[in-house]
Amino acid sequence: MRYDHDLASLSVGAIATIGLYTILYRENRFYRFFEHLFLGLASGWALVAIWQETLKSLWWDKMVGATASDGNPAVMGYWAYILLLPVGLMGYTVFSKKHNWMSRIPIGVILGLYSGQQFSAWMTRYIPGISGTMKSIVPTTTQFFKPDQNPVKGDLYGSEALNNLIFIVTVLCVLSYFLFSFDVKSKILKNASLTGRWMLMIGFGAIFGTTVMMRFSLLIDRMYFIWIEFIKQGLLHMK
Amino acid sequence: MATNDPMPQKSLGDKLQSFPKSALYLALFVLVTIPLFFPVTLPNKPIEASIDFYAQMMKLPEGSKVLIASDWTNSTRGESMGQMEALLRIIMRKKIKFVVYTIADPQSPQVARDTIRKVSDEEVKAGGKAYEPFKDYVILGYFPNGEGTSAAINNKFLSICDGKKDYPLNSPPRDVMQSPVLQGVKSVADFKFLIVVTASNSSTVVLERVTKVPKMFMVTGVMVPETTTYYAAGQLMGLCGGVKGVYDLETLMQEGLNVPGPKEVTSEKYSEKIPGFPGMPPNGNGKGARYYPSLHFALFLLILVVIIGNLGMILSKKKAS
Repeated sequence: MRYDHDLASLSVGAIATIGLYTILYRENRFYRFFEHLFLGLASGWALVAIWQETLKSLWWDKMVGATASDGNPAVMGYWAYILLLPVGLMGYTVFSKKHNWMSRIPIGVILGLYSGQQFSAWMTRYIPGISGTMKSIVPTTTQFFKPDQNPVKGDLYGSEALNNLIFIVTVLCVLSYFLFSFDVKSKILKNASLTGRWMLMIGFGAIFGTTVMMRFSLLIDRMYFIWIEFIKQGLLHMK
Repeated sequence: MATNDPMPQKSLGDKLQSFPKSALYLALFVLVTIPLFFPVTLPNKPIEASIDFYAQMMKLPEGSKVLIASDWTNSTRGESMGQMEALLRIIMRKKIKFVVYTIADPQSPQVARDTIRKVSDEEVKAGGKAYEPFKDYVILGYFPNGEGTSAAINNKFLSICDGKKDYPLNSPPRDVMQSPVLQGVKSVADFKFLIVVTASNSSTVVLERVTKVPKMFMVTGVMVPETTTYYAAGQLMGLCGGVKGVYDLETLMQEGLNVPGPKEVTSEKYSEKIPGFPGMPPNGNGKGARYYPSLHFALFLLILVVIIGNLGMILSKKKAS
């Protein structure tokens, strides 16, 4: 499982992991040190990556041009890219009381671009889900359970119709919870709204469950790193 | 002021509700560690979403091209790395060429680069072919504006490649447009799939803006409930979620789909047999198989503690009334 890591880098990783986990005991300097180390590394990396992979290749090189080398073609420089610099710098005037109006120009451009995308983005995201809610609740066969072997394609079995019914009732109850949040007198609407609230709670419970599972997975991975990759394979050279 | 009053005795209910945190953390650390040393194979029935993911990938003809959004870093290594490894194993064995980009984090391209090299080396050791950077795959790197980049991918894919450089190990940076992987690619529709491996909302950004190519997602456990609605609505061709998704893919790679055997995995959706890669890595020893038992132990502790805490609360209430 070891790859391209010498023992030193494994050791640093293990010490950093343990250092960060010491917060579980209490706040301490060891934890603070590794927290700052991590933040510093991440920020430094981001700075270099944004220059190297984005600003340099997509802006600087296109502006100043490049000669052919190492299999890369020559690129003609295009001076107009310099005009992007003042627009970008205007964003930083947000820190000046006198000139912060200028920061609204690039922010406005970004907001405009984003807003323009939102209509189609909303449609693409939600319309298939809304149309997918229109499910049949009438079975097309007298069989209740879908057979494991060779079920008839296109047939809606009783159990499937029941599933669809539960789904539609859930959707309607949850919608009524949000729509009829004011004082309603109809008992049906009140019960539907209450059922919707229960359904939402069950849904949130499921989401919480998956969240906990994810956090556990991260812990398991760190334990795997320390016990298996670092101690067993790194220090003891065992398979 | 000193006092000689005796400390009030805690009732059983109070004691059950006030376990020391450090003891619980210790129990958790011990419980998740034990299964790592004594690997056990848990029975597994892959879910339909994972089967779809596997079947769609396995049906791709040799030499196909896929686009991968690798939007994860080491912070979610526990789930995302297993997913990426499983995906890469299928890709490399099917000799599929791929393009990687990221809109989530500047660290992601390097993490992807390391993972690809690791899996490629393991494939070579197992008798497979080495995947060469730039020739078999190309990494476009990081794009800071996820919304704009995704819209550009959909409308004019080559515009995001223009000027971008790949940074293969021990080689000078190369213009990605010179890569054989991008030869013949004019639009995102030239890729068979857009596969998003993510631990953030980049999946939603892609879902909203990229419509010209079928999509499949590999997401962390916390994202499964939301992403399942997109899968159920037919917006995704396949979905691999959390450690369960990784274990599903590893099981399918081992047992195949609709292939008769003692641990046969069947699906009514697919009538054909889709054989896996029995005997090939991870061979029952992947991240999914290794982490799944530990996850069960951790969940067992969680459920136990919830029961004990509630029992304590009931006892305390009874005593108070």
